[in-house]
Amino acid sequence: MDEVKVGVFLSDCGKQLSEILDFDTLIDYVKKIAGVSFIVRSSEFWRGKGLQSIVDAVRDGKINRVVVAESLVKLSDVKIVEAVEKAGINPYLVEVINLEEHCGWPHRNTPSEATEKAKAMLFAAVERAKLLEPIEKLEFPVLKSTLVIGGGIAGMQVAEDLADLGFKVHLVERAPFLGGLAARAGRFFPTDDCAICIQSPASDVKTITHTSRKCVYRSGLSEIPNLEILTNSKIIGVEGVPGNYKVTIEKKPRYVNEMKCVLCDKCTAVCPVEVPDEYNAKLNTRKAIYMNIPNVYPPAYVIDENICKFHDCAKCVEVCPTNAIELNQETEQLKLDVGAIIVSTGFEEFDASVIKEYHYGDYPDVITNLELARMIDGFGPTAGKIVKPSNGKPAKKIVMIQCVGSRDRRWNPYCSSICCMISLKHAMLMKSAHPDADIAICYIDIRTTGREHEYYYEQAREMGIKFVKGRPTEISRDPETNRLIVDVEDALLKKILELEADMVVLAPAMIPAEGTKELAEILGIELCEDGFFKEYNAKLRPTETKLRGIYLCGGATFPKDAPTSSLHAHSAAVKAAKFLTTGKIIKDQRTAVVNEDYCGDCEFCPVTCPYGAISLEEISEGHFVAKVSDILCEGCGICVGTCPLNAIELRHSRPDQMRAQMRGLMSVNGTSKPLVLAICCSECGHAAVDSSGMAMMQYPANVRIMKVPCTGILQVHQFFEAFKTGAEGVMIVGCKSDGCHYEVGVQKAEKKVELTRMLLKEYGIAPERLEMFNMVFIEGNKFVEAAQTMTERLEKLGPLQLMSVS
Amino acid sequence: MEYGKEQKTTGSEFSNAITSRLGGETLTRCYQCGTCVSSCPVARLTDEFNPREIIKLSLLEESARVLSSDSIWLCCSCYSCQERCPQKVEIADVIYAIRNIAFEKGYIPNIYSEFASAILDDGRIVNISKFMEQKRSTIGLPPLTPTGVDALRKILSATGFDKLQKEVEEA
Amino acid sequence: MTSYALFLGCTIPARQPNYELSARKALTKLGIELVDLANMTCCAPPPIQSINLETSLSIAAYNICLAEEADLNMITLCTGCFESLAMANATLKENEELKGKVNKILSNAGKEFTGSKEVKHYLQVLMNDVGAKHIKQSISKTLSNLKVASFSGCHLLRPSELLKFDDPERPHIFDDLIEALGAKSVEYRNKLKCCGGLLRGYSDDLALNIAREKLVNTSRAGADCISTLCPFCFIALDIGQLQIKSKFQEEYNMPVLHYAELLSLALGIDPKELSLETHKIKVDKIIDKLS
Repeated sequence: MDEVKVGVFLSDCGKQLSEILDFDTLIDYVKKIAGVSFIVRSSEFWRGKGLQSIVDAVRDGKINRVVVAESLVKLSDVKIVEAVEKAGINPYLVEVINLEEHCGWPHRNTPSEATEKAKAMLFAAVERAKLLEPIEKLEFPVLKSTLVIGGGIAGMQVAEDLADLGFKVHLVERAPFLGGLAARAGRFFPTDDCAICIQSPASDVKTITHTSRKCVYRSGLSEIPNLEILTNSKIIGVEGVPGNYKVTIEKKPRYVNEMKCVLCDKCTAVCPVEVPDEYNAKLNTRKAIYMNIPNVYPPAYVIDENICKFHDCAKCVEVCPTNAIELNQETEQLKLDVGAIIVSTGFEEFDASVIKEYHYGDYPDVITNLELARMIDGFGPTAGKIVKPSNGKPAKKIVMIQCVGSRDRRWNPYCSSICCMISLKHAMLMKSAHPDADIAICYIDIRTTGREHEYYYEQAREMGIKFVKGRPTEISRDPETNRLIVDVEDALLKKILELEADMVVLAPAMIPAEGTKELAEILGIELCEDGFFKEYNAKLRPTETKLRGIYLCGGATFPKDAPTSSLHAHSAAVKAAKFLTTGKIIKDQRTAVVNEDYCGDCEFCPVTCPYGAISLEEISEGHFVAKVSDILCEGCGICVGTCPLNAIELRHSRPDQMRAQMRGLMSVNGTSKPLVLAICCSECGHAAVDSSGMAMMQYPANVRIMKVPCTGILQVHQFFEAFKTGAEGVMIVGCKSDGCHYEVGVQKAEKKVELTRMLLKEYGIAPERLEMFNMVFIEGNKFVEAAQTMTERLEKLGPLQLMSVS
Repeated sequence: MEYGKEQKTTGSEFSNAITSRLGGETLTRCYQCGTCVSSCPVARLTDEFNPREIIKLSLLEESARVLSSDSIWLCCSCYSCQERCPQKVEIADVIYAIRNIAFEKGYIPNIYSEFASAILDDGRIVNISKFMEQKRSTIGLPPLTPTGVDALRKILSATGFDKLQKEVEEA
Repeated sequence: MTSYALFLGCTIPARQPNYELSARKALTKLGIELVDLANMTCCAPPPIQSINLETSLSIAAYNICLAEEADLNMITLCTGCFESLAMANATLKENEELKGKVNKILSNAGKEFTGSKEVKHYLQVLMNDVGAKHIKQSISKTLSNLKVASFSGCHLLRPSELLKFDDPERPHIFDDLIEALGAKSVEYRNKLKCCGGLLRGYSDDLALNIAREKLVNTSRAGADCISTLCPFCFIALDIGQLQIKSKFQEEYNMPVLHYAELLSLALGIDPKELSLETHKIKVDKIIDKLS
């Protein structure tokens, strides 16, 4: 085993830091630390002569561990670590600490105390450096292919983007036709033109002109060489790892050969089975063999196997001029290997029949916006005429009701965001077609927030569409005239109105598409409380999930309009492309590792790991141990904090390394105040400390900072260890409770702090000596307040009496 | 009643007074949609009663106006509003809470102080006359069991109800 | 023989011996034992709730304690009592903090609420314990010529989250039980709307206006009578009809009978034993329709 030789490099930050800290004393002190064989002081170490001195020391074999005290601001550790690696040692044998923002600046008013603290910080860094071990770089292969689940406008566009970029794309849609909601909606705002419209492909699909948009059937989507489209198909299983997903798909038979069908419609004429057409809101009927609308893909009919009589009838087979009907087709199971998965399963209308006072499903003349869209659509069941479903007569008086099941604590508490616009669009289309129509919209609030949206509200008022500010309590029906009566208070008039209507159009909430829950389970991704897929981060990473290689786009994460869906789709395409393009995932092995001898197969860690990176493997009969997947592990250490047997460890943040740091930081006081250990998570917690330092906010030097990947790594006994090493108070500083960068770590830490406080009380130690603080980067002042509060509190409590002090 | 469950919002004095009372906890959920008004059998017949307005005025801190109005006594407790409210505001209970405050502050319709006296007297809100009691045996009804007046009085004393009523009588 | 502690409330013994008689006789005949517990008080209905909710909740809880001590579930006739007691029961069962607060008050009377018993309205007991089928089989006179406008009132159905009695928008239990007697339950406008009973005494004008709407709608629907479950609804629609007659000069001649009365009549109990003279609107024509 090589002797450990630590080099310590002290930056005086352009001789500014040395105005506060006594560098001569520091250098003397560091010289005396066992294992230190080389010390350099310079103005900076992240470039120039300073960096060169590190590189030379490594190359000349003078040192094999590097401790650098540098300032944070220039992200110095990136350059240093790069250079060290080139010079020939493992880049993880480097420990960079920040004497500027964590010592010099915040304690500039007490320079001698600051110097003492700096001693402790250097000692801790050296002790940790001595225990560092090389960390390997890992490479995992990534297939340059992707699965897109859901063939609506978002799915089609993300599929097109990735196929254009050269990746192999499998677009899987569970319905017999692509198009999703758009195909049924007819027209979309804000352009008031066709909903079923996507971008032009960039692929070299000959004869397709590259314009801003194309109807799907003319877009050439189906002709892009590396795009495979599977309809009537659904995902039944996904296994494997990011970059190498193994997907099982169940493809239901169409019973019609897509290559042969010429859309002549002879089959429907002879089919004896007729049912209400769900696609057209049951406003008309369809046969067992049918086509929804002829302008989406694939251009072939399909047979509804639930109602078809198959060989007992087969009349369609007889009349089909191209023998396209194949009644013997069977369900296929397909297996695909893909590198990434993109979820674009969209949303659907909430079933308003549960709101019984509105009689949806009960009174035929109460319909929803989607059903109205089918009526307005020229392709639709009424050829564009607005009629009462009950008797087919023209509907002249129409009342529209917003927020049906939205903004409703009983059903869906959120606002579905697009319904105001949809209803305004519909009201205007109806009014344009029938200027004598009497249309009233009952609303709680009108939400027209997007670009060009307010124009709709303006125009609607100018066209004479009425607005009633009130949510109706119920819809009743006059038994004699069959007219609907809507009871609503117009709050602005402070008057209860009984609006008569031929037809009432409800704007139901938009809810996640059916099967969302099951798909989330299959993929191992989370749903939010509202039931939609959860984005990795709502602010910055709206098209990713916490799992590498799985992306989200379109209405699957929340209802959105077409422009936003497009944005979302293209964003997901870029993210997926970034993931796929190099053909590999490169990670370091700062992951968790299990000591199989200790592992008790309690199953806590597989359940706790937010990334599903831990599984149980049978190593001998009936004996299971936990195994960590390096590709899935994100290095947070929450598993370490959970294991009751210390059987799992995080490389590069091992318990002995942490212990050494604690001891080091508590080894020198130099202030007349009680020592406080502040254990900060590497994300928001540590950032808040940085921020306080950058702003030169002042706090006392008895507060010592230690960084861990995530506060979730901490175990209860480590809190006690902190006290034993000399801390009189311990602060745990983490991200906001609902903002842990590793999903659940800070919440787990909060629980452990609670538990430890109970134990402290039992041991006769004031529980207030341990406290959890949550903050984010811009709350540097919060850190300073916390440090001061804790210090004052400890001063009041007096010295800590422990049974045994090591 | 969502006692103890509701987050106290930083409203102001009057809305706080309501939300911190039994029955009034859900006041601040209201977003003024008016569903309660169109459900209300009383609001249909008179402009004088509008539950949405009562809540609005309470949220706007118009305590004197709300407490001294006849309006808050016009609710017939049918709970239609509470049943249909999309924000699960317990409207009928909120009105009870407001009435409770009104009672404490001395804004009391006569008939309510009569109810209070009646219950303090013999444990019942409606007096059962001696005549009716005696008639029971002649028509085949079993005799009435004694009313738990003592227990009731102890409860009324524990909640301060009896003091409330005394204050009213003295007023 | 299922036994229940009978909670009479105040209004029924004070003013509606017809309700009490018919209920006792019918329920007993159908195998429900009614136990009269001592020391019950007023249930603390809306007038008391309006004064102080802590008090009314405690009073309701006190009464439930008596049933708990007797190890009996409670049965009420008045839906006002049902709501007061059942709401208190449900609320305290699911809110530990509130239960603790109320028990502190109850300790002054030497009681403790545990939430071990149920509070039911007699309609629930008829539906679940006796069953529509058994009722159908037990009746000796049918009411098949009778068109009944059922009016369950507000406090049986709402707030549905706590009372959980029937579907608040499409209730059917009351109608099913009326049809079990052979009668037809007619649909009429605004069936679920309040009768305005609780406004009587404070604003008689409004109360009468609201009651009048009910009479108009039931008449329009061709009902022979209205059937009620609550003594307040009864007063509002029975005595109320006389007051409406003098105020609006409108006569409806719409008899109002409690379900218990219809049930008793169908079970063959002699009308003379039911104190039917209490009705201000005479019910003779209904009795004539019995077959």
